[in-house]
Amino acid sequence: MFKFPENLYVDVRIEETFETKISFKKMILQEQKVRNNKGAFVRVYDGNRWYYASTTDVDAVQDQIDTLAKMAKPNPEINNHPIVRQFEVHKDQLIQYKHNSITDVPIAEKKAMLERYINLVNDETIVHHTSYYVDNKIIKSIYSSKGTDVTFDKQTCGIRIGLELSNGESKDQTSMSRAGCLFEDLFELEDFINDEIKKNIDFVKHAKPVEPGIYTVLLSPLATGVFTHESFGHKSESDFMVGDETMKAEWAIGKTVGTPILTIIDDGQVKGNGYVPYDDEGTKGKKTYIVTDGVLTGRLHSTSTSALLEEELTGNARATSFEFEPIVRMTTTYIEKGHRPLADIVAEIDNGIYVDNIKHGSGMSTFTIAPARAYKIENGKITTPVKISVVTGNVFETLGEVDAVSEEFDLLSFVGGGCGKMEQYPLPVGFGGPYTRVKKLNVQ
Amino acid sequence: MKTEFITIRNIETTAKVVGTKIDAVRIKDIIKKGARVYVDGKIGVSGAIGDIPDDELIEKAVENLETGIEYPYELEKNLVDHRNYSDFSMSGEELLKVTEEILEELKTNYDKFLFSEKVSVKEKVVQMRNSEGLDLEYRDAWFELGLILKENSSANLFDGFLQYSGRSFDKQKFWNFNKGYLEAYDNLLALPEGDKLPVFVLEAYELNDFLNKSLNGERYSNGSSILSGKLDEQLFNDKITFGQNFDSAVTFEPFFDHEGVVLKNDRVPLIQSGKFINVFTDKKTASTFDLPHTGAAEGSYDGVPTLTTTQLKFETDSKDIKSTLNGKLAIFALVSAGGDFTPDGSFAAPVQAALLFDGEKFIGKLPEFTMRSNLWAMLGEDYIGTFDNPFYSIENSKMQGFYMTIVR
Repeated sequence: MFKFPENLYVDVRIEETFETKISFKKMILQEQKVRNNKGAFVRVYDGNRWYYASTTDVDAVQDQIDTLAKMAKPNPEINNHPIVRQFEVHKDQLIQYKHNSITDVPIAEKKAMLERYINLVNDETIVHHTSYYVDNKIIKSIYSSKGTDVTFDKQTCGIRIGLELSNGESKDQTSMSRAGCLFEDLFELEDFINDEIKKNIDFVKHAKPVEPGIYTVLLSPLATGVFTHESFGHKSESDFMVGDETMKAEWAIGKTVGTPILTIIDDGQVKGNGYVPYDDEGTKGKKTYIVTDGVLTGRLHSTSTSALLEEELTGNARATSFEFEPIVRMTTTYIEKGHRPLADIVAEIDNGIYVDNIKHGSGMSTFTIAPARAYKIENGKITTPVKISVVTGNVFETLGEVDAVSEEFDLLSFVGGGCGKMEQYPLPVGFGGPYTRVKKLNVQ
Repeated sequence: MKTEFITIRNIETTAKVVGTKIDAVRIKDIIKKGARVYVDGKIGVSGAIGDIPDDELIEKAVENLETGIEYPYELEKNLVDHRNYSDFSMSGEELLKVTEEILEELKTNYDKFLFSEKVSVKEKVVQMRNSEGLDLEYRDAWFELGLILKENSSANLFDGFLQYSGRSFDKQKFWNFNKGYLEAYDNLLALPEGDKLPVFVLEAYELNDFLNKSLNGERYSNGSSILSGKLDEQLFNDKITFGQNFDSAVTFEPFFDHEGVVLKNDRVPLIQSGKFINVFTDKKTASTFDLPHTGAAEGSYDGVPTLTTTQLKFETDSKDIKSTLNGKLAIFALVSAGGDFTPDGSFAAPVQAALLFDGEKFIGKLPEFTMRSNLWAMLGEDYIGTFDNPFYSIENSKMQGFYMTIVR
């Protein structure tokens, strides 16, 4: 298909995307559009430096390869380079959504479904609402000078409803979202939406400012997902470790980083936002145990980091779109479920906080979770709603503070937002987990 | 039928840096085109990436009219305004040479750090034209350096960053500023005494974001803004003037909104000397709620114009940080990620990296802490001022100071 220059490693990723967006403000249609786009990302490696190009002119990919090749220095030993040797080579046509493609669902059906859900938003406390349906189908083809020739498809669709609430001087802005791989996954969300509306109205009517301090915090599966992603997930991305002896020592495999009840997994094979049948270098998606029973047992890799750190490939090289190079990113990251009922875990908390829903999180040395909806826990019961700016913890200490995980477990996918790493945002990721209790977190 | 086109072109050459060494070179040339058609008070939209012929886009936009989305507003017309800020030029070879020189200096003199991320030359062209004689063009080019900095001895993901963004690049000025900055990391200090301390930040993003939500005309009118019902009240410190700013020289963004509106003097004040005088609107919001139209439409290149957020900036109200501090020392919050406001205006944020400074020079590195306040205090009695950024870092940016409650 392409003429790859000799003595260089080359790969090409071509992305063909189909996207739908339907949006409403209250009951008035704001936008309804379908996008069909195509773009390509080309990489050339000479053993010393990478050369990248992204283009919207897919017919000119060969020209891009030739241009980049001229910038590189041919290296007769390129195929023996540790990074080049590390690349998996696959030949595969993995088209899974031929017969249940979101592209085949008439746009009128998508719009009608969203309208049915918007009709549920009907309370005087909700003074404004915005809603949208989005879907995304992508067909990726990856070719390399080592012989990779892989084409696969993946798709997601979802709804998001943003609520603006007012009860006198008390205001709130919040949202609810659900996503899946098939259009049918979005059916029968009435109970979820009604329940969220009810909780949010109660919250704006009754929430009081929290008394700042250190609390035992119980995290919902959603909050656990964000906690896992921010508190530890980013630290397992091994590009932060390359060439850095302190990080290698701090995060050495075999080190105890959490309590024995804690197992953290990143799994690119889970269908949903983080689904990666092949990553953006053509490596097969894999299930990686990052932490097993509190002990560090793995980390996430691109081909480059896996070669440099001499560890196995994990299929975590991902790019937000054809405009960017793949870097080490999470897929679906979660804490494995425990063996204790939620009710027992709550009953043991005398004075704590339950984080039910979140707005965002961040994952530096001090990680953060900004709750959208939280409650006091008093004498073993979830009680009064409380307004919290941010919950923070230290990444080096917090996993050692996890003292209970529930048998109840949920993996979640959403639309809107995503994971950001440097310039690449938003990348769809999956997360979730059990209800998780952390003995000490800073609540402000 | 009236027609309108938006074309966005982004050209970029980037040196990607890993471990204080150039690891990769990336070149980009991305074109995005959008078309709108207007017939009988309805709008149809389409778009594509790549240099797609106008006819194809119009055909799809006409098909999109079937959605029946109403747009009964007058289009901008008979205005030609082309603004060119693209004097800066640096070839790919020059970029690599400059980057290598910077990295060599860092490796030689600052080997206690590892530096990663990117150095870029970026060009941007945004055009909007329509069948009614509107012809707007914004053209820009600039140099951008964003290197995350990690101390070799640290187990953090990063401990700060070197940054520069501007339409020129003066290496001497860059080093004059950054030497003092990097050397401050050698002097580890405790936080100054006191529950409430002066904290300075470059472009207060969380505050700007919260004000963007609160000054949205739709939210204000629906009653969900914390400022709803407070128009014409003196709400904030009387030094504060804050509002829409579409001056491309300052914003590095187009001088027009998504409906092609060009503001008089490129600005609309929303808070004037502390008084709340206006909310921002697009044509639809202004018409629906009988509010002044302020040209704040947003949207994607292929979308229907709508009201979401807009470009808001504080005006400089204070001149000299050192003399304002009057001998006091202050905290410069270098990295503060993940903070937020509650809907009722309470604010808290962790500060992951901070330096002590006297308003001019950095003195040393401070430990992590959390800062806390609320909207009314930050823009009221605890507001210190908005200053032109005195550092050689982000061209035309502002530095702001607030007294914040410190949680150690």
